[in-house]
Amino acid sequence: MAILDIHQVSLSFGGLQALQNVHLKIEKGSTHALIGPNGAGKSTLLNVLTGMLKPDDGSVMFDGKPLLNVNSYDINQLGIAKVFQTPAIFPEMTVLQNVTIPVFAARDGSFNFNMFEGRAKQRPLIEFAEQQICELGLEDHMHDLAGSLSRGDKRRLEMAICLANKPRLLLLDEPTAGMARHETEKTIELLKSMDDGITKVIVEHDMNVVFSLAEKISVLSQGQIIAEGSPNEIKGHPKVIEAYLGEAQV
Amino acid sequence: MITQNNFWQHNKAVFIFALVALTMPLWFPLMGGYSGLDTKIMIFCIFVVGFDILLGFTGYLSFGHAAFFGISAYVTGIMLKSFSDNIIPAIIVAVAAATLVALIIGLLTLKRTGIYFSILTLAFAEMFDSMAMSMLQRWTGGENGLTGMPTPMLFDLKMQGDTVFYFCAICAIILFYLAKRIERSPVGLMMKAIKCNQTRLEYTGINARKYKLLAFVLSAMYAAIAGALMVVYEPFVGHEFLGWHQSGEVVIMSVIGGVGTLVGPMLGAAFMLYFENVMSVDLGEQWLLVLGVIFMAVVIFMPGGFMEAIARLKKRFFTTIDGE
Repeated sequence: MAILDIHQVSLSFGGLQALQNVHLKIEKGSTHALIGPNGAGKSTLLNVLTGMLKPDDGSVMFDGKPLLNVNSYDINQLGIAKVFQTPAIFPEMTVLQNVTIPVFAARDGSFNFNMFEGRAKQRPLIEFAEQQICELGLEDHMHDLAGSLSRGDKRRLEMAICLANKPRLLLLDEPTAGMARHETEKTIELLKSMDDGITKVIVEHDMNVVFSLAEKISVLSQGQIIAEGSPNEIKGHPKVIEAYLGEAQV
Repeated sequence: MITQNNFWQHNKAVFIFALVALTMPLWFPLMGGYSGLDTKIMIFCIFVVGFDILLGFTGYLSFGHAAFFGISAYVTGIMLKSFSDNIIPAIIVAVAAATLVALIIGLLTLKRTGIYFSILTLAFAEMFDSMAMSMLQRWTGGENGLTGMPTPMLFDLKMQGDTVFYFCAICAIILFYLAKRIERSPVGLMMKAIKCNQTRLEYTGINARKYKLLAFVLSAMYAAIAGALMVVYEPFVGHEFLGWHQSGEVVIMSVIGGVGTLVGPMLGAAFMLYFENVMSVDLGEQWLLVLGVIFMAVVIFMPGGFMEAIARLKKRFFTTIDGE
């Protein structure tokens, strides 16, 4: 069953057609990679899914609910979390405070007028946040400022923030960009070990990451999906080779 | 036992403030502070604590908070003059009026961030200033200001001398306590997250705009309470209550005290008012020059204001002990 159904989505910036009749179905619980050369429209597509960009045409359904013209925070409340290309965290707050935010967001929704409720008194919620931090291996940094973490740890913290309000769909925009080899391996392990109930969509340039994680791959080029299939099917696909390397010389 | 300890820990700053505030009439005159200046300090403590909910928590710098201070002062004055000399209904109506205005201005200005937000708030405040001077002259007294209020009463109690001081001090203590409570609540966490990374906050399922509006309205309510108390303290309202100069003064108090600490801005307010009134006797007009130098020195060398200085001193003090 498809958890995400992207139907005929088109979007242009001035004269540039960024997305053209994109059709994409993401199966529940699967790990789906979006690849393609620079400027193919991968990030644009993710931005459409998170409510940052409004497409000119088409529809997006998430678990039977329309996603277009819905605010970013409501999309997140529906169960879609996004991991950014550069880790998006709250740098001037402690690691624990960073993860406490989504925990309260999960309990209270997008706004709650509980001005006089003590956070510290909500022991179960704080403990849940601590547990999330431990699961991602950040227990030694619990009370450190998030801004002081290493890049790899910032990425892990961002994952903890995203996972703390129990998303059903996780969008990852180049989660290993700029990472050293061993950090990349760690991130792959982390994504593999994640709960199977979470559907993942990964935009990635690193083919090693793509082929070790993805069950299905869609290839975007110039705003269009040019190929779709299992990693093995995609590897030898002539259109994919053409998109990446240019037309074959005979 | 643990809960009692927590209560003490959480509210240490409130207890210390209450102690300092309530004993002020005893020691303040010894420092050369004239009677009444202590009341003004309490009133501005309320103003800046509220201002810190907006600037310190969410990072939005308003240059128009004098509008809420001034509107509330005018409404209180008019209420005392024409409705009843009891301050309670006057304060309630004044704060309600200013809150309503804040809600509207907040909805319009919070669409923008950074300098644009600051300029928009400034523009609104100036608009109210010029309205008070022109079309609303009949009620505000225009250039001459609003005068002729009766002696304000708290039911049967005449609001004069020390009574006014204690009334303002108790208001300041309660409002400081509430601000501390807000800081410890989930709402406080979300407000501070706005300052850190608004995009991440929105992508974490939080409607940042509503929290910003709440911070804006709350800080306006604090400003409004301060404005109303100002009339109880001194039965006069002038249009300078609404002016940009007043807004700027609150910004300076917050910055030299330490933005985002709640306590810092109160220190800044006390410092400014004390030196403005006591030192300027000796320095005269030169005082503004001295203030300018102090302000620059703080911004350049101590961006965290007095609170940063205190933290540094504490650190130095404790490290020497450790070293020995």
